[in-house]
Amino acid sequence: MIKIKNLCKSFGDNQVLSNITETINQGDKVVVIGPSGSGKSTFLRCLNCMEDPTSGSIIFDGEDLADLRVDINKHRQNIGMVFQQFNLFNNKTVMENITLAPVHLKKMTPAEAKERGIELLQRVGLEDKADVYPSTLSGGQKQRVAIVRALAMNPKVMLFDEPTSALDPEMVGEVLDVMKQLANEGMTMVVVTHEMGFAREVGNRIFFMDEGQITEQGTPEEVFGNPQSPRLKDFLSKVIV
Amino acid sequence: MNFASKFDVFWELFIEQGGWKRVISVGLVNTLLIAVLGLLIGIVLGTLIGAVKVMPKYKLLPKILDKICTVYVGFFRGTPIVVQLLIGYYVLWPLLGITISPLNTSIIIFGLNSAAYVSEIMRGGILSIDPGQMEAGRALGLSYSTTMIKIVIPQAIKNILPTLGNEFIALIKDTSVVSFVAATDLYKTFTEIGNVRYEYFMPYLAMAVMYMVLVFIISCGIKAMERSLRKSDKN
Repeated sequence: MIKIKNLCKSFGDNQVLSNITETINQGDKVVVIGPSGSGKSTFLRCLNCMEDPTSGSIIFDGEDLADLRVDINKHRQNIGMVFQQFNLFNNKTVMENITLAPVHLKKMTPAEAKERGIELLQRVGLEDKADVYPSTLSGGQKQRVAIVRALAMNPKVMLFDEPTSALDPEMVGEVLDVMKQLANEGMTMVVVTHEMGFAREVGNRIFFMDEGQITEQGTPEEVFGNPQSPRLKDFLSKVIV
Repeated sequence: MNFASKFDVFWELFIEQGGWKRVISVGLVNTLLIAVLGLLIGIVLGTLIGAVKVMPKYKLLPKILDKICTVYVGFFRGTPIVVQLLIGYYVLWPLLGITISPLNTSIIIFGLNSAAYVSEIMRGGILSIDPGQMEAGRALGLSYSTTMIKIVIPQAIKNILPTLGNEFIALIKDTSVVSFVAATDLYKTFTEIGNVRYEYFMPYLAMAVMYMVLVFIISCGIKAMERSLRKSDKN
């Protein structure tokens, strides 16, 4: 579904990703873990070119997203993204947040988009919040709306960039539940997270990143049960209590 | 000095002979027309310039536009408004072979002038918006310009409304120089009253009061607007 070839990313002299080659298949639930500064978020943000790769290619739907001639806006419509800081549009109501892109990009009529919006809001238990502004929502509610906003575009894959890191501990569960539900429905997902419980339960593949590379990967059983490198063992001993 | 007689003369010309009618219907109306329309032109043009200023500059077109805008802002902030009025009315229009009335010239020049100032205000406003708003729009597949127009600029304008109010006050006061190109504003109509008896004491005093009251009313308007904006932030 997404083929990553020799992906490199530098900010100035600082090389953040070095030579990553990986394939993400349809239906995969990839969870990316690793210490801070290891390039997890940059890796994720390169997948939809929120950061332009310095070199290498990202093949999605038969086109190389890293190629500047490719219409990236068209492909991003099929790649949903959820941010750590939610990034809901502050000047739009919840429903407008959800329907803006599908309607503007002519994927749906306003009526269809609204219907889809209500249906998705019901799924995350927020149908009564359709007409309020994001500033009145709690962090967990904001993130659930952000997930709904991404889903409204009917994406083929969803990227999650530390979706629970900015949340109060009590609100983490409600967001993870929505993500689990999504995973059970077969959505292809790439998730950067520090929630090891979630990684173990939902992920079918775990990428461990260190110093800009995926140094170890495998099923949750392999990565958590039988870590190979000292770095991963050290990391796991610190994050799993 | 005989204040009583100065006052009597002014009373006779301004009230009894109806001089106030022209001050209000021509002077005040033109002053407000120049300031309001000037600010509107300034906001539209200034928003465009501000948006160009914050555009990412990998490509050639934004680079060229940015240079043009820098020269534009440099000119209008680097020369007095009187000079700009004179250049417009006596140099630019004849060069272009067009005739534009003094009032319209004033509106255009004040619009162009305030665009230079509004563009800087707008640039600051746009930069004050969390970059995450732009990212969220782009991640959904919306273009840079769509996200800018639908998401970022509306929030930026809300943030800079109080500052725009101050720009409006500055504009109103600056309009008192439009008589350099023979436009009739508050200053001009009060001077006309003074010209009748060569007695300027009271007319100019009244003019000062009038400008002050005008600015005071607008300041109150801005404060009320700020309050209501703060309220809507809480909900």
